[in-house]
Amino acid sequence: MLAAGIVFAAGANLISPRGLVLTRNYFPTGSGPLSPMQSGAGAPRPGTNSANPVPAQLLAARIQEQGFQLISGRQATQLFHDPRCQQGIIVFIDARDESHYREGHIPGAYEFDPYYPEKYFTNAFPACQAAEQIVVYCNGGDCDDSESAAITLRDVGIASRKFYIYGDGIPDWTTNGLPVETGARNSGTLRRPEK
Amino acid sequence: MNTNPSSRNRAADIFAVLARWLLGAAFLYLGLNKALHPVEFLKLMRQYDLGQGALLLTTVAALLPWFEIFCGLLLLAGVAVRGTALLLILMLVPFTALVLRRALAIQSALAIPFCAVKFDCGCGTGEVFICRKLLENLFLLGLSGWLLAGRGRRFCARYHLLPGRTKAGP
Repeated sequence: MLAAGIVFAAGANLISPRGLVLTRNYFPTGSGPLSPMQSGAGAPRPGTNSANPVPAQLLAARIQEQGFQLISGRQATQLFHDPRCQQGIIVFIDARDESHYREGHIPGAYEFDPYYPEKYFTNAFPACQAAEQIVVYCNGGDCDDSESAAITLRDVGIASRKFYIYGDGIPDWTTNGLPVETGARNSGTLRRPEK
Repeated sequence: MNTNPSSRNRAADIFAVLARWLLGAAFLYLGLNKALHPVEFLKLMRQYDLGQGALLLTTVAALLPWFEIFCGLLLLAGVAVRGTALLLILMLVPFTALVLRRALAIQSALAIPFCAVKFDCGCGTGEVFICRKLLENLFLLGLSGWLLAGRGRRFCARYHLLPGRTKAGP
């Protein structure tokens, strides 16, 4: 019966459109917890006591090790307001899942969920090729999906020096009252969160 | 009030069938919650530090939810009830131990009372207080143990699938 259960589970995972690919390493940054308190779920949520941010030095060292640069919210804001952002020379990549992206992303950011990269290569890859600076972000805190996204894109040929990891991610962006775009990229629907 | 042994047995049997359905529905629900969001489950599994091997982590995250669904369906249908109950015990014991280990680590890091520890254990129910989670798991273990003892055999599809086998069979 154990064997029947395993066969059923393997078959269902294979058929499911959301199934995982067993041979893929979904955590290029390492499959263990990033910090002793890591919840794995990303942004700290109200009422939970498990999600602490990864210490800044640890995060910076890990990002540097990959050949990327860690940037602050202030630097991300400067890059966002840089005229080159409008020309596609600076691009933003949102490494969260589709539902979070649609709830609100940095205006003009490309969607790139590193767990389903094949869905997003068509749009994100040419943009990254053309760009000189690529700002990648996710949920801040212990979320390392931005690094995973950068690694995935680097592995298909985008130079690592182009990547700037916005470590504090979207929670920092919204806390600073900066605008977010809801729905699809360039939907034009902007929302300015309250500070 | 009739309290003869046969009516007590019948009541226990009906209760055991309800327990089987409850356990089956619970595992179906928990499994579906994970199977519909496998990446979230995979990320949550990471907190247990099952080793540096990505393959083990991915395999567990990919197969476990569907395996739970499989067990849930078997219990609801009443097929291989005791074997399924045994499998559930074999799954629940190590996972309860992992959740407990994780909770102790959080408690130690935050220096808070044990029952104040709240986290998403990846069990399919979102964030829960650890004491509640442990009680839930003990309850599920108790039900599984009861079914393993041979209770809950009424309304089992097994007897339609294998008409030669009787309820008194092993």
